[in-house]
Amino acid sequence: MNFVFFFALFMSQLVFSQTEKLQEEKELEVVNFNSIKKILVQDGLSEAAKKKEKQVQVLKKEQAKVETGRYLYPTESEIWGFTSEYWLIKNAQILDWDFEKPDYGIDKSFKSILQDLGFYQKKFKILLVNSPNIVRAALPGNEEVILLISVPFIRMLDLSKLEIALLLFEDFVRFDLGYFKKSVMTEKMTKLSGSNFQGGKPDISLIEELLRNYNSQINEKGYTFQQMFEVTKKMDAYLKSNPELWNAYFRLLGKVDRFLKTNVQFKDYIKLYPSPEMQVKWLSPDEKVL
Amino acid sequence: MWWPLLLPILLFAETTSTDERIVGTFYFNPMFGHVHQSALRTSASLTTIQCSHPVKVIESSKVSVGREWAYVQVADHKGFIRKDFLSQRRPECFQGKYPKFFDAFNLDLSELYYWGRLNDQYIQGETRVK
Repeated sequence: MNFVFFFALFMSQLVFSQTEKLQEEKELEVVNFNSIKKILVQDGLSEAAKKKEKQVQVLKKEQAKVETGRYLYPTESEIWGFTSEYWLIKNAQILDWDFEKPDYGIDKSFKSILQDLGFYQKKFKILLVNSPNIVRAALPGNEEVILLISVPFIRMLDLSKLEIALLLFEDFVRFDLGYFKKSVMTEKMTKLSGSNFQGGKPDISLIEELLRNYNSQINEKGYTFQQMFEVTKKMDAYLKSNPELWNAYFRLLGKVDRFLKTNVQFKDYIKLYPSPEMQVKWLSPDEKVL
Repeated sequence: MWWPLLLPILLFAETTSTDERIVGTFYFNPMFGHVHQSALRTSASLTTIQCSHPVKVIESSKVSVGREWAYVQVADHKGFIRKDFLSQRRPECFQGKYPKFFDAFNLDLSELYYWGRLNDQYIQGETRVK
């Protein structure tokens, strides 16, 4: 009887203890797992959510930047390049630059002069025009200078490629002195270049004004005596180190002067570039009074 | 029995098409330009294209081009473009960089044509690095 009682007691305790332990373990496991899982899930999700949020913010910023960029005015140098080419397009028929032209080898001789005189890494574009309406001009490009020269003028004066290159070099020097840009520049251009017009329309009168100024500068206004004097003195200084070039330039000015005095077709030249006669005088050595 | 007469024509067509090989796809650099009928700056324009336009450069034993020109295919047109106008990478174009500003000018067909011609007519150069 005692044996049965103790056996039953032992078994009940054993069963009870086993059940109790398992329950605790289970509870603990459940509690721990749930809490860890919860934390893990919460942490993971919140971290992922944060990452996602950051990504979205970065993307939104980029998108806004791209969208804002679509409404930008070009930079100053880009406006110069665009306007000069647009002016050439608008005046294509008057200037008549779309024609089959002879290969004068001007690019090589002009490049050679620039390099001989120490002008390195300079980009240029030369456009030959088949019209006496414009004899020469230097326009600002995006990164380079655009040099225009008239083929009828070249032919009538029977210019050699060295002489053509020297005329182009004089235009290059005049352009480098900043007279053209200073003359056609507008306040609007300074104000608007590189700015943003989001929420509105671009003010294209910015370019229209510049185009009008181009016309006036190239066809009517030209350069002053003072500016031409500065250009001639600059040419003198550059070419003095190379007597061959200096003499060629001096002779060229005399040739142009004589030609213009006898040719009515280019009568406006002297008004725009005053004047080859004066240039010769400015370059001539002072006469000694005995 | 008329069909054997067509056989040489069919064979010739096959030879022509297999002779051409696409060298690669390049991108057009200047703002506007033309696919020319022949490898000459002043030759007629087959079509006008703008900056960043993809161009397939073709090699063919039947078409000889100088060093300056590439034989190309643009859409259905096969013609010539100056090599210095093509690049392997997509260029950054004015009209792509400032689309709203550029669109405001509403350039007409004649202006697009002349802009392309202008790029052909330039004599370009750059002095060396010191």
